[in-house]
Amino acid sequence: MSAKKSHKFYGHGIPRVKPEDLGGKLIVVEGADGSGRSTQIAELVNWLETGGRPTVQVGLKRSTLVSEELEKAQDGNVLSRTTLSLFYATDFADQLSNLIIPALKAGFIVLSDRYIYTLMARDLVRGMDEKWLKNLYGIAPVPDAVFYLSVEPEELVQRNLSKNATLDYWESGMDLGLSRDMFDSFLKYQAAMQSAFKAMQKTYGFDIVDANRSAHAVNKELRKKISSVLDTD
Amino acid sequence: MKTFAESNFPGRLIAVEGLDGSGKSTQIYLLKRWLEAEGIKVYFSEWNSSELVKSATSKGKKRELLTPTTFSLIHATDFADRYERHLLPLLRAGYIVLCDRYVFTAFARDVTRGCPPDWVRGNYSFACAPDLTMFFKADLEVSLNRILEGRPKLKFFEAGMDLRLSTDPYESFKIFQGRILDQYLAMSKEFNFVIMDANENVEKQQVIVRKLVSEKIDLKKFKRRSPLPLPPSLVGDREEKDELEDKAA
Repeated sequence: MSAKKSHKFYGHGIPRVKPEDLGGKLIVVEGADGSGRSTQIAELVNWLETGGRPTVQVGLKRSTLVSEELEKAQDGNVLSRTTLSLFYATDFADQLSNLIIPALKAGFIVLSDRYIYTLMARDLVRGMDEKWLKNLYGIAPVPDAVFYLSVEPEELVQRNLSKNATLDYWESGMDLGLSRDMFDSFLKYQAAMQSAFKAMQKTYGFDIVDANRSAHAVNKELRKKISSVLDTD
Repeated sequence: MKTFAESNFPGRLIAVEGLDGSGKSTQIYLLKRWLEAEGIKVYFSEWNSSELVKSATSKGKKRELLTPTTFSLIHATDFADRYERHLLPLLRAGYIVLCDRYVFTAFARDVTRGCPPDWVRGNYSFACAPDLTMFFKADLEVSLNRILEGRPKLKFFEAGMDLRLSTDPYESFKIFQGRILDQYLAMSKEFNFVIMDANENVEKQQVIVRKLVSEKIDLKKFKRRSPLPLPPSLVGDREEKDELEDKAA
């Protein structure tokens, strides 16, 4: 097993969890829909597990507690901004308490398909208070590595359309009223999200990975970088 | 934390806080009856959150899935829903809104569960402070007796069983309520609570409540305008206009 190496929290952390009890590794893959996150994570899990490393995977909207309700809330667009934001935070906190923390305590490698950064970026783009968000997500442990898969909005459109033949309402930021035209709105919204991520990069130190390339090339780069993170034990 | 008046809302919010069994609900009910009789635009906000949020909250409670953090956040979600969908439009429309419990319930309860006070306060910082908060302070024993007499089956989180204070729900409830009371008292200055002696008889308390409210709020400004009788064909128009204004808010 990997040696114990303590983690830190971004802020207050969570009650009764000591950061020094958290071993393992927390690796985050961020990026828009169509940036290849799930493909990359599946490959990484494969690689890590065949190499004898235990993994746990988490992602947004996957909690036992609120995932179903969140899905419905999105379908109907019935919740106001702060409510939706807190609902997502609850979803994250549930997975944090029940999956991420226990896995880190047990020395597992946690692969997170998106993390608090997407949640914060979405809210920042919608004009929510940054201080408020930072306090809220002070419960999150600081990951050992964060990779942001960067893809040009024009390329994202192509990938989303070839996969689903349609653009997602939320990934197009239609609730923001940027444009009645979904295609336009998607491009504008994704560009805004990218700038939000770039602005956060300074604070959170993401590793920006050029994901306009082939899945294979991207994975090679990720493995190399993750190897060096794992070697630090 | 600014009040609704300080934030230039036309409406005002009055909150009552206190332990279960402190008699606060009776007092706010009597206050509502009085304000209604005076022809004031008043609304008593019950905790009716949307089905979605309610479903998640009750699932978490029933299955005992909640940690102090998720307990706090799911209730913050619930409060935000009630605040954004319900309270804000009423306060924009110039109502006097009466709340049986407000953010302070969460502050007391979540901090007792071990959440950091700054974190909890920060999460609720989107909400304005009440224009008047009355805290009903009764002897712990009196409150406990009232509750434990009338409602013998205590729920898991209600009794604070998640804190492992005692394996006996009644014992756990007593310790938990005692700690919540301590939290309330510790924040009473910070949030300008008016402390009410809840051991006093109900009628006397209500006289004080009404006096406090009329001193704090210029009630005549909140009288219902008796609307000019409109011909039936125009009644719809007026409602439509009100709706549009609410949306703009």
